[in-house]
Amino acid sequence: MVRIYGEAKDRDLKELPFSVPKFWHYRDGQTAFSSIAADRGNGFILTEIGEPIQLFGRDVTANYFDLLGIHPILGRTFLPEEEAKGDVVMVTESFWRNRLNSDPNVLGRSITLNGVPNTIIGVLPNLPISWFGRHTEIFANKLFEPADIAKDRVMRGVSFMRVIARLKPGETIQQAQATMPALEKGYREERPENPDNSWASVLVSIAEDVTGNLRPAFMTLLAAVSAVLLIACSNVANLLLVRFTGRRREIALRMALGGQRSSIVRLFVIESTLVSVIAGVAGLCLALWTVSIVPHMAGQNVPLESGVSLHLPVLVFTLALSLITGLLMGLYPAWQSSRTDLVEGLKEGGGGSTGSHRQHRLRRGLVAAQVGLSVALVASAAMLISSFVRLSRQESGFRSERIWAGGIALPPSRYPDAASQARFVQRLTEELQNEPGVEVASVTGAVPLSGDISRSPYARADGNPTPLTQRPLGLTRSISPNYFRTLSIPLIAGRDFSERDGVDQPLVVILSKATVKKLFPNEDPLGRRILFGTDNGTGAPAEVIGVVGDVRSADLAKANDVEFYRPWAQRSTPFLNVLVRSTTKPEATTGIVRLSLKNIDDGLPIIQPNTLEAIVSESLGERRLTMALLGVFAGIALLLAVVGIYGAVAYTVEQRTGEIGVRMALGAQTVDVLRLVVRQGMNPVILGLIIGLTGTFAVGRLLAAQLYQISPHDPFLLGAAATVLAVAALLACLFPARRATRIDPIQALRSE
Amino acid sequence: MNNGSDPLIRLNSVTKVFLTDEVETHALSGIHLDIRPGEYVSIAGPSGCGKTTLLSILGLLDTPSDGSYSLKGYEVANLSFADRARIRNREIGFIFQSFNLIGDLTVFENVELPLTYRGMGASERKSFVTEALERVGMAHRAKHLPSQLSGGQQQRVAVARALAGRPAILLADEPTGNLDSRNGEAVMQLLKELHGGGATICMVTHDERFAQHADRTVHLFDGRVVEDRIAA
Repeated sequence: MVRIYGEAKDRDLKELPFSVPKFWHYRDGQTAFSSIAADRGNGFILTEIGEPIQLFGRDVTANYFDLLGIHPILGRTFLPEEEAKGDVVMVTESFWRNRLNSDPNVLGRSITLNGVPNTIIGVLPNLPISWFGRHTEIFANKLFEPADIAKDRVMRGVSFMRVIARLKPGETIQQAQATMPALEKGYREERPENPDNSWASVLVSIAEDVTGNLRPAFMTLLAAVSAVLLIACSNVANLLLVRFTGRRREIALRMALGGQRSSIVRLFVIESTLVSVIAGVAGLCLALWTVSIVPHMAGQNVPLESGVSLHLPVLVFTLALSLITGLLMGLYPAWQSSRTDLVEGLKEGGGGSTGSHRQHRLRRGLVAAQVGLSVALVASAAMLISSFVRLSRQESGFRSERIWAGGIALPPSRYPDAASQARFVQRLTEELQNEPGVEVASVTGAVPLSGDISRSPYARADGNPTPLTQRPLGLTRSISPNYFRTLSIPLIAGRDFSERDGVDQPLVVILSKATVKKLFPNEDPLGRRILFGTDNGTGAPAEVIGVVGDVRSADLAKANDVEFYRPWAQRSTPFLNVLVRSTTKPEATTGIVRLSLKNIDDGLPIIQPNTLEAIVSESLGERRLTMALLGVFAGIALLLAVVGIYGAVAYTVEQRTGEIGVRMALGAQTVDVLRLVVRQGMNPVILGLIIGLTGTFAVGRLLAAQLYQISPHDPFLLGAAATVLAVAALLACLFPARRATRIDPIQALRSE
Repeated sequence: MNNGSDPLIRLNSVTKVFLTDEVETHALSGIHLDIRPGEYVSIAGPSGCGKTTLLSILGLLDTPSDGSYSLKGYEVANLSFADRARIRNREIGFIFQSFNLIGDLTVFENVELPLTYRGMGASERKSFVTEALERVGMAHRAKHLPSQLSGGQQQRVAVARALAGRPAILLADEPTGNLDSRNGEAVMQLLKELHGGGATICMVTHDERFAQHADRTVHLFDGRVVEDRIAA
């Protein structure tokens, strides 16, 4: 299955939706797919079942669920003829069970959506949120007749549909992609004035489409998890090497009694594998307990199902991994230890020795590897944390404190046109303005940083305007008067919108400062005209009446290229967002807005009331999650590395007790012993730091995409990470080193 | 301050008691012992008589429970660990039964080891080490590791390490204990040569044959000196 996007690389436009005429053209003319379908998000107000409720849903083509291979658990899917007529809907299982009390007679039941009775023809299973979103409950089939877009605009190429297709058996994406230019050419000839006829069509696999944006973050986390696993493995290998070396006498005895080398290796490998499997099971139990936390941490920004759990493949993979780890990590130490000299091994006293030079080098190498991986993780975590802190302090250009936001969907049956929608908005803002506690209220089509984006083709109206099909798309926001005051966006020149900028009045527009710089460099923009949209084949001219400060309304990490503000009355939609700056708590503000709504129209619910601060914070949700998880992994890696270093140094001290006693007998002071132990412990650490920092440099590109104003080669952060590791390693060496200074030389010499 | 006739080492009523699990073990009781510069003294006795304990006290590895110990006229019995280590480094050269060479260090580095704790410069250390190795006939193996030497050669290196710092006295704890008779004789001959060169030696041995190499033998039994005899 593939997703089909529009793209105009020359104008830096990517991932563009489809228009209705374009979809029809592709549907009728394509040869690469066995089927092609489309959908779009929509809102529905459910009435006559208790209080009016705002529902989220999607309009789909009749073959949509067949293409996806989703079968209803009750009833049927849409029929092709129902696309043209028929008020029928499908609902999800959760809707059926929670809102209709699992009504056994759900099929054929009528529910009123947006004031129109609709018949339920099917019940779908609960659907994955990564594709359908978190709250989707209703599916309708009015995709080609959107109530919020005039028909002539629909046919002029307003693009809003998500298009998917299933490749024919044996067809590859590349082969299907090769058929797109012909379809593009055909559409251009069929609809020469539609602006979307200049867009190329790009095919992306559904898997890539769903995960693409998350890929860098997930790859980073996968790398982090792998690094932690490798650190743990080298820790285990080191400990096993030391442990098996200490059993030289036992090994020598077993072999002296006739044991084969293979039996010795088998014994030790079984031991190490058993421990590893037990650890794997313990880890799984811990995972079972903690995995439910991850969707909460992911919040709204990462589409993780709320019922995320450990599936059988995950369980099998984890246990297999722990088995293989035990096997591999135990094999070399077991093999090395089984090569003991029988005579020397039997001669030894109980303590054993520190092992051969090769084993020493291997142990030091393992410590260096742990340190190297840890410093890379700690450095990466430090970069992500610094990046997040910078981003969270980034000035957005608007204030978000004490601002309440909530959505309202105006049913087309009661608000069929721009005039009725504009009247509603005017009444609502007036009602709210008179409420005690409300400082200022306004309306916008999309709340900043909420993820909702609307763009229009634009061009300067003077001179030779760029042809419609070659125009760039600019961020366009429909707002009511007082929007800028609500968000404290400074008015730099001209005026704000007012009631006189109504439905039938001359079109006006306010520009952001960056837009002025781009479109009218070194000119006064006030009074100039800009063409918007596709009306009349050239777009409708709007006069520039004001300039406001720049805001980061699409992405906090990126300044908007251009941003246009249009008066709500002149560019309205049935869905709007209310913004209220008040002195009351959010819950109280919700009550105020609800009351004001009731005074105007009793049947309108508020959609997802929230604070603007929370919305801004949620926009950083994915980065926050990556940072938090990487921070946890880095902490675990640091702990493992410190434990590994401590263990290696402590064991070395224990095994070198005699040598330390000799040195003391020869006159070594406390500081000499400390220096000896710490130097021996820190040598592989320093090597590991060098390797780790070099490695971090090399993989900086993987991280760069997720950093904000932080270079992956930031010397301060790299230095800080190395310092943290070095200090931790030093402390890990100091404890056994201090113990070494307390060795009684007489006892040590006796044992030696 | 020590003049020519004063003993190098003087133990006066030295006692050592070990307390383990409320059991008192009197390892040494009222030991009086003088060792003069240039003397070659052997301390003999059966196992458990307190020879090694006495040597540990002489070598400032341990402190007496009672009594006094003066070295070169200075009371050293109850000095701090750091002071004892410093005096041990400068005035006493140890030769152990099991050689106690450090396996990761070369012959040169092993002999050099006590000098590094004095803060001596590299060139001066080299000079002292070379001289010591030449005295024991092991200069040609300076770059070898102990594992590449025979037992007798290792003990020679251990003797060189003891000599390198030009100590006031050499303390040898069963220096032939881990050697065959031929090598043992060779080491004893080396000690005799060193003594002939003016070294003061105190050797612990349970072997009467080797005890007779010394000028004077002090016999211990149950922690007491039972005989202090000058060799004929």
